[in-house]
Amino acid sequence: MPTNAVGREIPATVAGRALRPYQGAFATVPAGRRAGGPLKTIRPREDKVAPSLEDAIRRSGLRDGMTISFHHCFRDGDRLVLQVVEACARLGIGDLRLFPTALFPCHEPLVRHIEAGVLTRIEGSMNGPIGAFVSQGGKLREPPILRSHGGRWRAVACGEVEIDVAFIAASEADPWGNANGIHGPHACGPISFSVVDSWCANHVVVVTDHLVPYPAVPPTIEQGYVDQVAVVDQVGDPAGIVTGTLRITRSPTQLKIAELAVRAVEAAGLVRDGMSFQAGAGGISLAALEFLSQRMRATGARAAFAIGGTTRYLVGMLNEGLVGTILDGQAFDEEAIASLRANPRHQPITPGFYADYNSLGCATYMLDFAFLGGTEVDLEFNVNVNTHSDGQLLHGIGGHQDVASGAGVTVITLPTLRGRVPMIRDRVTTVTTPGEVVDLVVTERGIAVNPRRSDLAADLRRAGLPVRTLAEMKEAAERLVGERRKPVFGDEIVGIIQWRDGTVIDVVRKVEGWR
Amino acid sequence: MGAGQSTDRRHGPDAQANRGEMRLKREATAGSVDRSDALVRVQPGTGLAVSVRTRTGPMDEEHIATVVRDALSGYGVENAHVEVEEAGAYDHVILARLEAALSRSVGSEEPFRSPLPRPDRQPTLRDRPRRTRLYVPGANARLLAFADSFGPDCLLLDLEDAVAPSEKDSARFLVRRALATMDFGATELWVRINPLDAGGADDVALVVAGHPHGICLPKAEDPAEVRALADLLSSVEAAYSVPWPLWIMPIIESPRGVLAAADIAGASERVVCLAFGAEDYTREVGAQRSWEALLWARSQLVASAKAAGIQASDTVFPNVEDEEGLREEARRARELGFDGKGVIHPLQIAIVHDAFAPNAAEVAWARGVVEAAAQGGRGVVAHEGRMIDRPVLERAKRILEQVGEGTDAD
Repeated sequence: MPTNAVGREIPATVAGRALRPYQGAFATVPAGRRAGGPLKTIRPREDKVAPSLEDAIRRSGLRDGMTISFHHCFRDGDRLVLQVVEACARLGIGDLRLFPTALFPCHEPLVRHIEAGVLTRIEGSMNGPIGAFVSQGGKLREPPILRSHGGRWRAVACGEVEIDVAFIAASEADPWGNANGIHGPHACGPISFSVVDSWCANHVVVVTDHLVPYPAVPPTIEQGYVDQVAVVDQVGDPAGIVTGTLRITRSPTQLKIAELAVRAVEAAGLVRDGMSFQAGAGGISLAALEFLSQRMRATGARAAFAIGGTTRYLVGMLNEGLVGTILDGQAFDEEAIASLRANPRHQPITPGFYADYNSLGCATYMLDFAFLGGTEVDLEFNVNVNTHSDGQLLHGIGGHQDVASGAGVTVITLPTLRGRVPMIRDRVTTVTTPGEVVDLVVTERGIAVNPRRSDLAADLRRAGLPVRTLAEMKEAAERLVGERRKPVFGDEIVGIIQWRDGTVIDVVRKVEGWR
Repeated sequence: MGAGQSTDRRHGPDAQANRGEMRLKREATAGSVDRSDALVRVQPGTGLAVSVRTRTGPMDEEHIATVVRDALSGYGVENAHVEVEEAGAYDHVILARLEAALSRSVGSEEPFRSPLPRPDRQPTLRDRPRRTRLYVPGANARLLAFADSFGPDCLLLDLEDAVAPSEKDSARFLVRRALATMDFGATELWVRINPLDAGGADDVALVVAGHPHGICLPKAEDPAEVRALADLLSSVEAAYSVPWPLWIMPIIESPRGVLAAADIAGASERVVCLAFGAEDYTREVGAQRSWEALLWARSQLVASAKAAGIQASDTVFPNVEDEEGLREEARRARELGFDGKGVIHPLQIAIVHDAFAPNAAEVAWARGVVEAAAQGGRGVVAHEGRMIDRPVLERAKRILEQVGEGTDAD
C-alpha cells in the first residue's frame, strides 16, 4: 500500500472514492475553478417563509441519497440537526449524507437514525458519542471524512462536496433569509461557517426561532442565496456553546505548561508591538492568555490582532487595549457574542478568510504564534487531535491544521501524562497535523524544539528555559506507568483524515484487538 | 515514640530476605477512586486472586495485575483476594495503596520497613540554595502526580498538617513510593513528618526507604527533639543504606520554638535550615498576621540560624491569588536575611526565586571576585581591597550560578 509524506499507508481508493496521499503542507497546486450554486431568480414580494420545517424539507426537493449540511455554532446546544433528521425520517427520506461542520455529544440520538438507515454517510467532525459509535466500524456505508475548518470550506468551494440542501440555524432572520447569529434570544456567535454552504448548495433553508421584519442585519447569510425560511420553536441553546470553556484552570500542571508556553514565545522575541496570535478555548490556552496579558502589561507590547475562538478573556484583552482587533470565527461564551454586537474592532470572519488553502489570503498565515492542544504528539512532532491511544475517533480537527500551517511559531501544549496515558508516543495513533508545521511542544517537563528550528532552541536556552527532547520527556513519563497494551488495527477504515488541501494525511482503522 | 526506632533494630530493613508467608487478618482498603488514585481492597482468601478495573479498559489491566502480583509475591502474600480500581494512577501509587491496605489488614507496618530499589539521586550540599520549599500534601495522589515537574529548590512532601489522621499511614506509603520512583531532578527532597511522639517515628521508619535528602520536624520547640530525630536518622539511614547524611529542617512555629531557636539551630550537625511557620505562631501569641507582628520572631529566627552557620527560610504566603503581596513579602524576607521562603502553589515558585535572585550589584561583585581569583592563581587575592578567601569565592560562584553564569561546562 502506498505511503504518504508522513509515512502513513493510504489506500488508493476507499468505497470507490479515490484518495490523494498527503505530499507536504504546501505541496498541492490547486487547479480548476470555484464551484457555485445554480442560478436562480425571484419576483418582487415573493414569499420565502415555509409553513413548517417539514414543509421546507418537502419543498426543497430533498430525497434519498442526498447531502444535507449544517454549522456547529451552537456546539453542544444545537437543536437543528436532530429536528431536521427526525423530520426526514418522518417524511420517509433516507440514505442521506450528513455534512455538518461538527457534531457534539448532544447529537447522540443520531445513532438511532444511522441504525435505521436515515443517515448512511457522515462527513464532518465528530466529538464524542457519534465518533465512538462509528469507530466500531460497519456503521456507515462510506467511512466519514474529517476536515479542518479551512478544509471543509475548500471542499465546498471547489465542488469536492456537493450540498443538496443547506440548513442554516440562525438566531435572527428576516422573511427573505437575511440571517445572523448575534441577535435574538438564542444568539450563538458568527454563523459564518455556513456562508460557503449558502453560496454553493443547490437549495438553502434558513431556520430561525426569531423572525424579524426585513431587513435583519448584519446579513451574515445573504438573502440572494436563500431559497426558504423556516421557523421553529428553538434552533439551539446558547448554554451549550460554553461547555468546558468557562474559566481559567486551577491545575498547577496546566498553569505551568501555559506559563512555559508564554515564556517560550517571549524568549523567541514574539511578545512585541504589532504581534499577532491565536489561542483557543481549552484550559491551557485560556491560562496562556492570562500569562500573555501579564507579560504584555509588563512590557508595554500590544498585539495588532488575535484570531478567535473567542472567550471573555480575549474580549477582555480587546477592551483593555492589549489587542487591537479580534478576527472571530467562533464565539465560546456570551461575552464574546455581546462584544461582536458592540465592538467594531471585533470582526466576524469566515473560514474562507482565515483558513482556506485554495485562497490568496489566510489570516492564519499572518500569525506570529499560536497555542494549540492535542491528544498525542510523536517524536517526529506529528500531532494527533482526532483519536485517543485506544484508537477511538473522538474529536474533530477544528482549525488545528489551518492555524499550525500558518503561525510563525506553532506551540503544542499538553501534559506528558493524562492519568496513565502517555501523550508523547513513538508514533501518534493518527496524524492530524504533520511535524512539518509544528515548532515547539511544551509539557510540564520542558520544551521540545523541532530540529528544523535550531534558531528557537538557541533563544530558549539563552532565556534559561528547560529545553528537552521529546524522547527524554517520553521516557520520564513512561517510567511511571510501565508497558501498556496497544490496539491492533484491522483493515476496515472508519475515518479519513484530510489535510486542509484535500489530500489524505491519515486514515483511522477499526480496532480489532489488543497486543 | 521509641517504637519506630526499636522495631527497626529488631526487624529492620535488612531482614527483607526472611519472608515467611504474610497472612491477612481482615478485609482492608486504601486509596480512593479520585483522579490519579487507586482504590485497593484486600481480604483473606484461599489462593491468590487479583482483579483489576481500569479507566482505560484493556490497555492497562494486564500490566497492573502483573505489578500487583509481583508485589504480593515479594511480600509473601499467598492467600488473598485483591481488587484494584484505578482512576489514572501511576504504578507506584497502586503499589503504595496495596501496601497500605496490606498493612491495615495485618495490623502492622513492620513487614514494609525494607529498602526499595534505589533511586538514581544525588546528595545535596549543606548550603545549597533553598529559595523555595514547596509543600505538597502527602496523601493526595492527584497533587503528587506532577510533583516532579515544578522545580522548587526544596520539595516538602507533607505527612503532617495536610493529612487527615485516618490517612496518616496510607500517606506514608504513598510518599515513600513517590520518593523512590519519581525523578525530581535537582530538587532537594524533604518529608515533613508528624511530631516524633505522634507518628513521626513511624513516618521516618517508612519514608527513608525512598531516599529523601532530609526530614522536616514540625513544631520544633526543644533541642532534645532535634537530637532524638538525629539519633533516629543515624540508625535508619544506615539500615536503608542512604548514601548521604539526612538533613534536618526544624520548623519553628510557636512562641516557645522562637525562644529556643538558637539552641534548636545548634542541636545537631544535621540541621541545615530553620523554617518559620507563622500560622500557628500568630495564633498562639494572639496576634493579627502582619509584617510588624511577626518582625521580632522573624529576626530572632534569622539571627539564631546565622549564629549557627545555617540557613533560614521564611513562612509561606497563604494567599495564592495575591502575587504582588507575595513578591513584596519575599523581598522583605530577603532583606531581613532569610535565604528562602515556603510556597504552597507551584505558581509562587518563580516569584520567590525572582525575589531571591541576586541584584545587579551582587552579580557585578561576584564577577569581579571570580575573575580576580582566576587571575590570582594560588596566592592571596583581593577584590576591591578585600581579601578573597574560599567562602567568599564560593558565595560569588553561587551568585553567578543563580543568574546562569555558572562555571560548569554546559
